[in-house]
Parts: sequence; C-alpha cells; structure tokens
Amino acid sequence: MAKIKKRGESGAAKNYITRTQALKKLQISLSDFRRLCILKGIYPREPTNKKKANKGSSAPASFYYSKDIMYLLHEPLLNTFRQHKTFAKKLARALGRGEWALAKGLEDRKPDARLDHLIKERYPTFKAATMELNDPLSLLSLFERLPKDPVPGRTQVPVEVTAECARLVNEWKVWAIRTHALRKVFLSIKGIYYECEVPSGESGSTVPVRWLEPYEFTQHVPSDVDFRILLTFLDLYRTLTSFVLYKLYTDENLVYPPPMDVQLDQRGEGVGKFKLVEREADEDRDGEQPKTADGKRITKKDVKRGIKSVQRAGDAVDEDEDEEMVDATEEAVEEEFVHHPGKNEDGADAASGPLPTYTSLLVSSSNSENTTPAFQIFSPYTFYLSRETSSRTWEFIIRAFGGKVVTHLEPTTDATQSNSLAGPEGDKITHVIIDRPMGKSKMRELQGQRKWAWVQPQWVADCANRREILPSGQGSGYEPGGALPPHLSPWDGEGEVYRPWLEQDKPEASQVEAAAEGDDVEMADDDEEEEEEDEDEDEETVKPETKTTITPALLAASRDPTNETLIHQAELEAESLGISHDAFKKSLDKLVKEHKETPQGSAAEKAKKVAVADEDMRKIMMTGKKQRLYTKMTYSNNEKKAEQDKLEQKRQAIEKRKKKEAKSKLAQAAAAA
Amino acid sequence: MKKQRPATNAVASSSSTSASGLGKKRSRKQQVAEESEEDDELSGVVGSGKQVDNEQVDEIDLEEDEEDDEFEIDTGSSNGDLDDFVVADEDEDDVEDDGDLADSESEEDSQAGLDLDDEEGYNSSDIDALDSEAEEDEDGVLTPATSLGSSSDLDKLIKKHTSKPSESEWGTDKFSSAKEGSGRLRKSRFVEGSWVREYEEFEAGYGSESSTEENTNTIGNIPIEWYDDLPHIGYSVDGKRIMRPAKGDELDKFLATVEDPDSWTTAEDKLLQKQVQLSDKELDIIRRLERAENPDAGFDNYQSTIEWFTGKGNEMVMPLTNRPEPKSRFVPSKWEHKKVMKIVKAIREGRIIPNRPPVEKPKVYAIWSKEDQERTPHAMYMPAPQLPPPKTVESYNPPEEYLFDEQEKAEWEAQEKEDRKLDFEPKKYASLRTVPGYEGFVQERFERCLDLYLAPRTKKVKMNIDPESLVPKLPSPKELRPFPTTSAVQYRHPASSRVRCVSVDPRGEWVASGSEDGVVRVWDLGNGREVWKWPLKMGAVQSVEWCPNRDESVLAATVSGRVYLLSPLALVSPTVAQTTLTHLNTAFASSSASTAQNEPRKAPDAKWVRPTEDERDRGILVIVEVAGTPKHITWHRKGDYFSTVAVDAANKSVLVHQVSKHQTQSPFKRTKGSVQRVAFHPTKPHFFVATQRYVRLYDLVGQQLLKTLMSGLKWISSMDIHPGGDNLIIGSYDKKLCWFDLDLSSKPYKTLRYHTKALRSVIYHRTYPLFASASDDGTIQIFHGTVYSDLMQNPLIVPLKVLRGHNIKDGLGVLDVKWHPTKPWLVSSGADGEVRMWT
Repeated sequence: MAKIKKRGESGAAKNYITRTQALKKLQISLSDFRRLCILKGIYPREPTNKKKANKGSSAPASFYYSKDIMYLLHEPLLNTFRQHKTFAKKLARALGRGEWALAKGLEDRKPDARLDHLIKERYPTFKAATMELNDPLSLLSLFERLPKDPVPGRTQVPVEVTAECARLVNEWKVWAIRTHALRKVFLSIKGIYYECEVPSGESGSTVPVRWLEPYEFTQHVPSDVDFRILLTFLDLYRTLTSFVLYKLYTDENLVYPPPMDVQLDQRGEGVGKFKLVEREADEDRDGEQPKTADGKRITKKDVKRGIKSVQRAGDAVDEDEDEEMVDATEEAVEEEFVHHPGKNEDGADAASGPLPTYTSLLVSSSNSENTTPAFQIFSPYTFYLSRETSSRTWEFIIRAFGGKVVTHLEPTTDATQSNSLAGPEGDKITHVIIDRPMGKSKMRELQGQRKWAWVQPQWVADCANRREILPSGQGSGYEPGGALPPHLSPWDGEGEVYRPWLEQDKPEASQVEAAAEGDDVEMADDDEEEEEEDEDEDEETVKPETKTTITPALLAASRDPTNETLIHQAELEAESLGISHDAFKKSLDKLVKEHKETPQGSAAEKAKKVAVADEDMRKIMMTGKKQRLYTKMTYSNNEKKAEQDKLEQKRQAIEKRKKKEAKSKLAQAAAAA
Repeated sequence: MKKQRPATNAVASSSSTSASGLGKKRSRKQQVAEESEEDDELSGVVGSGKQVDNEQVDEIDLEEDEEDDEFEIDTGSSNGDLDDFVVADEDEDDVEDDGDLADSESEEDSQAGLDLDDEEGYNSSDIDALDSEAEEDEDGVLTPATSLGSSSDLDKLIKKHTSKPSESEWGTDKFSSAKEGSGRLRKSRFVEGSWVREYEEFEAGYGSESSTEENTNTIGNIPIEWYDDLPHIGYSVDGKRIMRPAKGDELDKFLATVEDPDSWTTAEDKLLQKQVQLSDKELDIIRRLERAENPDAGFDNYQSTIEWFTGKGNEMVMPLTNRPEPKSRFVPSKWEHKKVMKIVKAIREGRIIPNRPPVEKPKVYAIWSKEDQERTPHAMYMPAPQLPPPKTVESYNPPEEYLFDEQEKAEWEAQEKEDRKLDFEPKKYASLRTVPGYEGFVQERFERCLDLYLAPRTKKVKMNIDPESLVPKLPSPKELRPFPTTSAVQYRHPASSRVRCVSVDPRGEWVASGSEDGVVRVWDLGNGREVWKWPLKMGAVQSVEWCPNRDESVLAATVSGRVYLLSPLALVSPTVAQTTLTHLNTAFASSSASTAQNEPRKAPDAKWVRPTEDERDRGILVIVEVAGTPKHITWHRKGDYFSTVAVDAANKSVLVHQVSKHQTQSPFKRTKGSVQRVAFHPTKPHFFVATQRYVRLYDLVGQQLLKTLMSGLKWISSMDIHPGGDNLIIGSYDKKLCWFDLDLSSKPYKTLRYHTKALRSVIYHRTYPLFASASDDGTIQIFHGTVYSDLMQNPLIVPLKVLRGHNIKDGLGVLDVKWHPTKPWLVSSGADGEVRMWT
C-alpha cells in the first residue's frame, strides 16, 4: 500500500508561508522584513489554491515562497540589522548620558550595511542587471529632483543621497554620450523617456534600457507616499547602478568613477562636469596618474587649471605634446567647451579651461560599435541651445547623437551688431534650438550673414527617433512658433498599430530626403479616394431625380442589357412617362453599371456571409474549453480593433472638419479679393 | 509584644501621655510598697493584710484616675465624656500597667545590680517556707484564732517581708493565694455539715494570663451575632455577664459623627460592641502602617553598626596566616609578555598599524565576469514584469484624435481611479515650453515600488495564437453535397394549427401530417396539394408514421387513447390496396372466434377494434384502443410490428403491437424512469428505450438488458438509430445533441450544443450520410455524419447548413422533421402550422 499522505506536509501547504509566519520564523519586525524583502527581491506569491496554501483557512493572507524565507535566515543583512539595533541602543544610551567621546567612538564604528553581495545574488549576470535597469534609472532621476524634506515632518532625504543620485544619472548619461547608446527619445506629458541600448556582454547583443526623467520642476509629493520604502529601493538601485556603471566604464577602458570638475558642478553643469579618464594598461590603483585621451590638446595652462579644479586629476602630461599642439587648442576650445551664461566674464574665462570632455574622447572610441553613423545623425552639426530649452535634456540628446552644443555665445564687441550672436562659435553653429516664437526679422538680425536653421526642440527628438534629419524649414512646423507636427511615441506601433496616415501628417514640404516614393503613391491614392467620395456625394444629389423615373421594365432591362425586347419595353414605358430618350439612356446605363457592380458586390457579400456561416458551423464542433478561449480571444481582439477604429474615425472626422474650415477660409479670402 | 512595649516606652523619652503617666506611677508604686509594708507591720495578719493591700491599691487607682482626668484636661481631653464603663476599663488597664511596671522595675533593679536579692527571693527554701505557711494556713483554718494570735508567726512574717521587699513576692503571693486559703469558710448550702471556702473577688494581676489581654469579654472568636438576642454580650474573666452597652439608634450615631469632631478616630470593638476611641498612639500606628513604615515609632531603621572588630582600638594586630606572599605576585607573566612582544614586533614591522581606520572594501568593483552563470530556470522564479513602453497618447503633442472629446472626458472622470484605462488625461501643448510638471510622478514611482515588493506574483500563460487556429479543420460543406438547402414546397394547413408530426411515404410520394385540430392529412410530396384527410376528432394527432413496407400503404396515427391504422386506399394501386387490406384484416376473422375465450382470462394491453363500415370506406382500417396518450409511434423495419410510447400510461407506457395478429404486448412489467422514446434496431432483434436521462438497449429475443448509455443530458426529447445500427443520436430539451458510438463507449462520442432552444426531433437519413435536428428556436440544422466501416476511425460529423423558415409561435418552433426515404430532401413541420419540404 502506498504511504498515506498527511495533510499540510506537502504541496502548497509546504511551499507557501504566510507573512506572519515568516516574521515569527525570522524574529524580526515588520519594517525589517519589508527592507529585507525589498533588498533581496522577495515578493509574495499568488498560490493557485489559497485555501490549501493556508492550511485550510480561507482568511486573507499574503503568501511567500517558504524557501525564500528559509534563505533569508542565513542572510548577512539580517545580522547587520541586529548589529545596527544594538548600535542604536548604545548610541542613544551614550548620548543620553552625555558621554560624547563614547558616542563618537560608536559612531565611527557604526555597522555598515553593504549590498554588493545582493547585487551579485539578484543579478547573476551583467545581462540580468541591465535588463532590470529601467526602474532604478527612473527612480534615480526622480530623486535627483527631490528636495531634502519632500513631505514636511516625515522621512527626510539626505542631501548626499540626492547628490549621489544626480551623480549616477549624469555618469550614466556621460556613458551614453560616449558610446552613442541613446536610441529613442519621447517627450511625454509625464516627462522624457529615453531608451539606451546597453551591450549585455554576450557577442554584441544589446539590452534596451528605458527610463523616464521628470521635467525640471519641483515635484508634487503626496503626503501618503512612504519615503522609507522609496529610500530602501533607492539604496539597492544606487548600488546596482554604480556597479553597472563600473562595468560599462571599465569595458570602455575608462576610469570609474570619473573625476568630477568641482567648479563646473557648482555651476550646475550636468553631463559636462565629468572628466573621462582612460585606464592605464597596468594600472594598479584607480585614478592615479591618469592620462587623458586627448592629452595632446591640453596646454600647460589648462593643465594647471585642471589641477586646481580637479583634485584627483593627475598632472603628468607631456609638455612636448602640448607645445606641438598649441595651434590645435583654440579649435578644441571652440569645439568642446560649453559656455555658460550668467557668469562674470573674467571668472568664466578663468574657469573655462578646455577640460577634456566626452567629445574629445570620441575620437579615441570611434572604433566602438555604436559609433556607426546611423546613430550619429547630428555629427556634422553644431547646436546652439536657447536659454529656455533645458540644456540637461537637449545637450545630452544632441551629444548622444553625435552633435555639438553651444549653450551660450558671447555678444560681439562690435557695436554695429550688438544684437547678433556672433564670435567664432557663431560661425560654427548650424542649428539653433529655440522654444519660443520669434519673428523672422529678429532671427535674421541675430544670425547675421550666417545660415542657421531655427528649430523647436521637438525636431531634435523626432530626428533622433527616425534616425534622419527632418526638414526644418518654413512650413515644416518645426520653425519657431510654428504649429508642430504631432509627436509620436517611438515605441508605439512597433508591430502593433500601423498608421500610414501619420506619415501623411508629416510635412509635405519634405522635398529634401524624407518623402519616400511609396508615401507619394499613398497620398495619390488617398486623393483619388477623396475624389471618388466627392463623386459619390454628387451622385447622391442627383439620384433623387432619377429614382422617380425607374420603372419595373427599366429595372428588368438593366438586369439583362442584351435582351432587346426588355429594353424596348422599358423605352416604351419611359416614353409613356414622358422621359426624354437621353435621360432614359443615362438612367439605363447607370442602372446597368450598378447592376454590374452589385452582383459582384453581392456575390462577394454572399461569399463573405457563407464564409461567416461556415465559420459558425465549424465552431459547433469545438470543445467547450476551446470555445471559451476562442470567445475570450476574439473579444479582446475586437476590443483592440474597436479602439483603433474609433481612433481612425475620430481622425477622419477631424480631417474633414479641418478641410472644411480651410475651404471656407479660402472662399472667404477669394470673396475678399 | 505587650511586655516589650512598656519597656521600650520607658526607654524612649517620648512625649506620649502614657509614658509620662507611667513615670508618675512608678514613683507611686514605690510608695505603695512602703505603705504595704507598714500596713503589714500594723495589722500583722496575713489574710487580712492582703485585703488591705488591695484596698490600698484601689485607692491609689482612684487617685490615679483623678490624675488621669487632670491630665486629659490638660491635653485637650481626648475622652472627655467617659462613661462608667470606660472608667472601669481604665481601672483594669491601670492594674495591668501596675503589673507591667513591676516587671519593668524588676528589670531595672536587676540591671542596677540587685541580682543577689532576686535570687534570694526565688530560692527553694522560700518556696518551702511558703508551702509550710500554706500548710499552716490550712491548719489555721481549723484553728483560726490560735494561729492568728501566735507571735512567732508574726515575727516570721515580719522578718520575711522586711528581708524580701521584692515585687516578685507579689506574683508568688497572688499565684499561691488559692493554696493559701485566703477565702472565708462558710457552711455549705447543699451538703449539710460541710464547709465551703468562699473567695474574694479575683483580681487579675501580674502573672495572670488574662492580665495580658485588654479584652475582658471571654467569649473568644465566635460570631457575636449569637448574643444578639441576649441582654449580655459575653462574660468577663470571672464569669460575670457583660451587659450590652447602651447603643443609640442610627440617628444618634449619625449625630455623633456630626457633632463629635473626634468620631473619625473611633473604631468599633466588636467584642464589646461599642465604639472605642483610638488613642494617639494607636492612630500613630495606623498612620505608620498606611505609610508602610515600621509601626513602632521608636524603631530606628538606620542604626549605626556596632563596630566590634574595627575602628580605633579594635584593630586586629595578628595576621590570619603565616604564609609568605608567593613570587608570582611580584613577577610579571611570561606568557603575557610573549603575547605583548608579538604585538610589539608586529607594530614595529608595520604589520599592525595602531589606530588605523578600518580597511574599506572599494565601493564598486568588477562584480560580474565572463564566468557568470545564468540563473537556472525555476518554476518559482518570477521576475517582475517591466512597465510597458509609453504610447503616443502620452505624448505632449499627440495627434488630435488621441485627445478626449467631452463624452470621453466625462466618462474618464466618472470612472474610479483604479478602473481607468489611462491614468492621465491626454493633453496637447503647442510647444514644449508650455508643458507643466506632471503631478503624479512621485505617486506613480511609489506605486511601482509597492507593486515590486507587495504585489503577489503568479505565472499566467498568455496565449499568443491566432484564434482561428482553435477552430477545427473540417471539409467544406460544398464537398459534401447533396444536402437540403432551400425550402421547396410548403404544405399549408388551413387552420394554421400546430402540426405535431409529419411522415414521408416509403415510396416517397406522399407526406402525411398530423395537426392539433385532430386531422391527419396526406399531401402530394411534389406539389404540396392535399390529397386525403382523416378528421379523427379525438384531439390532437400526436404522431403519424408510415409503415416502412413498400408493398403496403399503412399509416399509423395516434391520438389520445387510440392508435389508428389508416390507408388512403383510393390513391394506391389495387395490388397495394389488396395486400394492405389482407395484412390488416386477416386477424379480425380469426380473433372474432377466439375473443370469447380470451376475454375473461386477462385484461388485454390493448383492444383491437374494427371500425364501422363508413369509417372503413374512408380508409380507417383498424383502431387500437390503448391506455394513456401514445405520443410516439415507431415501426419495425419489416412493417408488421410497431411500438407506441404513452408516457402517462404507467407500466403500459411501452407497447409493441403486431399488425398481422392484432396482438399487443407490453414488454416491460415495470419501466425504470419515464420512457420518452423507443426504437427498433435496424438489423438485430434489439430494442432501444430512452428514458429521461439514459438509453437502454434490450435484447428482445434473450429478454435482457444489453447496454445502458449514459447521455449526461437532463431530459431526452428524441432519438434515432443510424441505419448501420451502431450509432445513435439523441436530442434533448437542454439544447444538446449527443452522438453515441455503441462500439466505443457508453458515454457520448460527441455532445454538441448549437441550438439556442430545446431540440424536438433528430433523425438520420436512411441512405445518405446526413442527419438533422429540429429545435424550438425555429431552425433545422443539417449535419453530415459519415460512419466508417473501419472500426478504428471515428465517425465524421460536419455541420452543413442551418435551415431557417419556420416561425416561432408560443415558444415553439420546428416540431418534427423526417427525411425523404431516397432523396436528400427533408420534410419538417412547425408550430406555425406549416409543413415544408427542403431540397
């Protein structure tokens, strides 16, 4: 006889453990358990049979996989928590007694909870880590923007944490710029979505990493948000991101963490404040004696400035090289240096040492895979960012796609051209990104003799998403103050929704490169259709007259136009009704045509009907299970389709309305003329 | 405790009243002693001397009382209005106090070095002397006069008293007073000539047990209620009743509490049944107890220790042991030294750096390498799903159709936050500059975090297939032609009453129909003309069925309680008419002779009646009278037997009739469940009986049950057997059709549900691989149903066509369908009073 199975000793009852049981087993408080769960990535499960999992009780409970909890028993973090608890007690005691020296000693020996073992445990491979980067980057981007006291009187966010978040995000962006890993940009109402492709380390395969960055505003923080939870997540995410960045930087043969220019940082510079330093081949200690990739471009003076500003930066640069390349320095300054507004000129000048930045390092990493021209669409261009555009965003995007950025131009000393943006940088500029309406005369005045393309920021995002330079001229909608073409999600329609009309919506003035032939053809088709529609309308207006004259004989004749007798009969009837021969002929032709069309149509309809009926018939033979599944699937498909149809209908209605408006306007104009 | 208290009081120089009083008493006592000596000397009589002494004491007591009173007045008179009892009480107290005093005095004396005298007072010779005195007293009783008068005795006494003025004598004196025979002798009242000694009133003094107790009531610890009915409340030490003290009523009590400012310091003495004023001392004790202090005010909690061996002059000069100190006390440890030197060496060599901050692990390092192993897939590992990418609707500048119109916006706003498809309202901004900050950013991130660690996860299989792939692949109906598709002929009934049943002639020429107006009609199949009719006028025609024998033309029709065998004789050829008539009528000839014998024997299951001449002319050839209303009729393939089912006929619901012999038999004595349909097996002598839920197959020859088919249906409505005999279909009122393969299983091979209402009729075609079902939803469903001769191959069922045309009337649609015997044509009858042929 088989062994009798006892209740609650195997299966779901054994596999799952409720949270209360887990707490008892681990002997920790609920908040500690929460922290552990967040850090270790332990989550409740939904057992297939809750009653079995709960040993026969149907009381609501959250279930954990019991092995998860068993593993938690050996977690070093658990021990750290306990140590911290005793430490807190001791510290409180020392402080209470006023034993300051003891308190200081305790504080120095504060138990430190390190999470690096968790990173390896949770993400055994680099690929696994990159696949989970979406949430960390989004949260880091948020905390970068948060105040110290998000909810007054509640948990505080230490300034160091905010600063570290900002540093990590910027380091990530610097890496993306350096490797041209940025792929997609989407300006949504929530913030800006970016997507990077991160090499996962296995034979050139990449993992898309998408994150959302809020717009640069003070964040609205609801009072019911528990920042303890967010901070716990942030602990993990900071660690994870820093390890990922270390790997990415070292893979690029760069020193991590990259030295930061303190002065630039103070000026509120984002990605520009980091100095990328190549690792030496036999380097045993990080950051010691770094040699910049474009060291040859650095002058002695610059180096001195660099030493001043960057404490950690090394000083070993060959002077010979400097002397050789003095000529090149000027150019380099122009190319790379980002001028910053709102500084007194002297100070700015003194601080504006052309530190070797990512752009200079581009040269050295040009052999990298991602630097294929497809992703460097802006490489021939230099952009000037107007004051109202966020340099944090646009500098990153433009640089990541290979462009150069100038955010500030010194006004010329030339009195005659006081208004124009000039100087040597001005000549380099090809595009001006401007987010406010501006008159043509003003633009002309500003650009002087140079030819600048004035565009709105969306143009950059659209170009980046489509990997091509879109026309930016008058009528494209991208000109300052112009009616922008709709901005579409680059992820929308990836095999889901095909919307050819959106191509149509793109500027018709795309004579340069964009408009493909296929598009033209489509448009032509559409035109035809419209014409047809118009015709139909005309017919409709005519029909009521003809309809009155249709006699049974005429109908019969139309059915069989070869039958002479029938036609004759119809003619006679028409005569008796007093209809002219021409009119009769016309109506006959029309009817014949209609009849010719209808049989086909009706046949098609019939076939369709038959097909539909067939389908119905075959469904009789399905099993109940399959039938249920089938109905579910068709239902959801129909829902989707209905949504699309609704969108399409709305679009058509809007188009029609617009057309009418345009027509009426034209008519008005004509009348006025 | 009692004894100690006065002693300590004496020691403590407190200002308590009794203590000061005692001091006076003591001096008085000494006086008393002197006086008594004088008295003794004066009187010189032993017996009366005692008395005098007592009197003296009383006097002193009185004085004392006076003093007490005075004192009380001084202190503000705590017990100002003392009644007599209290006075008496105080007397007693004083007596006791005296005793105590004596005690304390003796102690003091002993301390002062009068030990020797005491010893003298208690030596054995004294006791002997006392004894002798007692003896002498007894003698003296006999001769009182002589003894009193002797001077030697007097001298002795004087000597004794002068030499021993100790108080201990008091005690011994009192103790031995009984033996002394101090009482008076008087004549006994009970025994004549005998004397009884009468003692003085007993005065409890020192040494008496009762003297240590304050309480004079001697009843002990018994409920005082026992004395409730008595005038007294107990007995004093000398056996006298203690009378109940006068007690005021409640009002008095209350007044006492109000008027007397000290009433709150009184307590009830239960034994004496009166309120006792607590003295200051007692109150003090109570207060101390309340404060959890030692009740004795004089007790010193923090007495200084007595330094017996320490302090100046008490030092121990000599050491405890003579052993010299060990060397180890003076030599440093070698091993410790070694350990220290090791550390010193390490420090010198730089291996240990003192006060060095702990070595920190680098914050980041290469945590991943090429050798990393992927996580082994596990069923319980469920990574969190990523958030879906944003759609265009989220854009700051979406195409206009994405924006809400008024209706959509109202709907969106009316929805609960959790139910909304979009968690934001799509907006369109003219330029990026005008885009405001998004309010829900933090909330959304927070909710995502909550989801990550709080949301229970489960694995769900998402079917990513084309739903069309679920539809079975079947041959196209086009390939399976011919089958009926259109309504060709209609056979209109005049009154448009429901046509319950229809049947097609075995030669395929006529259609017979039975309607609810009680008329059986015969129609020309081809042109739909009515060629014959039998108004049976016996209620609705339940069922009509042509005899399958092609050589005859017999139509069986059932009405309530009757089965008619009809034949449209005028329409058929003479030979057919002849065979028909002979087949039906031969039995009448034979039975007319035999009925007389048969009838009384047993009530027959049915009565075969020959119709009247008139009826016979109209084609009604035989009438079978049966029990109940036969609802269904089915012929055996050879056309000699037919069976009827009458649901309401109890055990005679199923009847098998033989036409040639005019015999009817009931094959089942009792039927399990109500029989719905019966059918003959097309080839074998088997009989199918369908009850509400089961179909049973009986062997008619062997008379046994062969098989029970479990349909799984709730109420079977119709049944038909495939011409091959191995398959059957069942229609049910619960909208289902079951196909049974008898070789396969006792459960249905296929159960199909496609009609929206109850099935009324199912039927196989005799020659084509077709079957049809008719339902109350007004449709007829045509199926292709091939049964393969290969036993391994399951029957192929292909739905072919839905025939629509019958109207639904009163919830009833198509009531009966029959196939044409040879052509793929179908005849159906409906509740709308129409019979249609479908070709």
